[in-house]
Amino acid sequence: MGLVQKAIESVGIATIGISLAREVTAQVKPPRTVFLRWPFGHPLGEAGAVAQQRTVLFAAFEALYAIDTPGTIVDLPFRWRREVYSAAAKPPDLVPRIPS
Amino acid sequence: MADLTRFKHQLLARFIAAFPALGRRWATAAGGWESAAAIPWTALTKPLHQCRLALVTTAGVHLRDQPPFDMTDPEGDATFRAIATDTALDDLTITHDYYDHGDADRDLNIVFPLERLRDLVAEGTIGSLAEFHYGFMGHIIGTQLSRLTGASAPEVARRLRADAVDVVLLTPA
Repeated sequence: MGLVQKAIESVGIATIGISLAREVTAQVKPPRTVFLRWPFGHPLGEAGAVAQQRTVLFAAFEALYAIDTPGTIVDLPFRWRREVYSAAAKPPDLVPRIPS
Repeated sequence: MADLTRFKHQLLARFIAAFPALGRRWATAAGGWESAAAIPWTALTKPLHQCRLALVTTAGVHLRDQPPFDMTDPEGDATFRAIATDTALDDLTITHDYYDHGDADRDLNIVFPLERLRDLVAEGTIGSLAEFHYGFMGHIIGTQLSRLTGASAPEVARRLRADAVDVVLLTPA
C-alpha cells in the first residue's frame, strides 16, 4: 500500500495512509501514516461502529495536517475493543498549520 | 489444485486474524519486498473543507460485476478497479484470500469507508469526493510488484491528478 501511496504523492497529491503493519510501513516509508495496533482487515475498526470509524478518520485527517516530516508514523492511542467512542465527537480543526 | 491453494491462504488468513502478533511477525519477515527510496512530499495548503478527496484501498475491494482479483497467481494481482463515488456498498465485494474479511463483508466501511466520507462531505468537513476511488489487492510480490510500481500505481496517480484530487486516504487490509 505504501508504494501506491508514494506514487500518488509524487504526482502532487497529499496522502495519508492507515497502517496495521508498523514494521512494513517503517520500511516502505510513505510520506504520512497513522498506525493502529489492530487486527488485519480492520483499519477503520469494527463493523457497524460508526463513531469508531469516524474517530479513526478524524485522527487520520488531523495527522494529515500535523505531520511536517516525510516518513512520519503517528501511533494512534486506541486500544482494540477497549475504548468508548462518542458519536457526538466533532472533527478537529482540519486546516494547514501555515496558511498559504 | 488452485482451489486447494486458495483454501490454504484463506485458512492462514483466519489463523493470523486469531493471533495478530503472528501476522506482524509474518509481515516483518516478508519485508524487503519493498525498499525505501526517497520519500515524495506534497504540501497540503487548503483546509479539508475545500479539498477533493479520493479513497484508495489495498483490501481487494471491487464492483461485483468487475473481474475479481486473480487469487491463483502466488505473486498476487497488480491490477486495479475504479469505483464510482456514488456506488452503493451493496454493489461491492472483496476478493482477497490473504486476510480474514468476514467483518468487512458485513460492513465494508471498515476497509473502504465510502459511506463515512459521504457523511463528512454532507456535514461540510470534506469539500468533495473524487469521481472515482480505486481498489487494489495487497500481497503483491515479484513480477507483479514491478507491474504495480511501473504501471498500475502511476496510472491511478495520473487519473487522480486528472480528477483534480487534493487528498488521498489509503486503507490497507
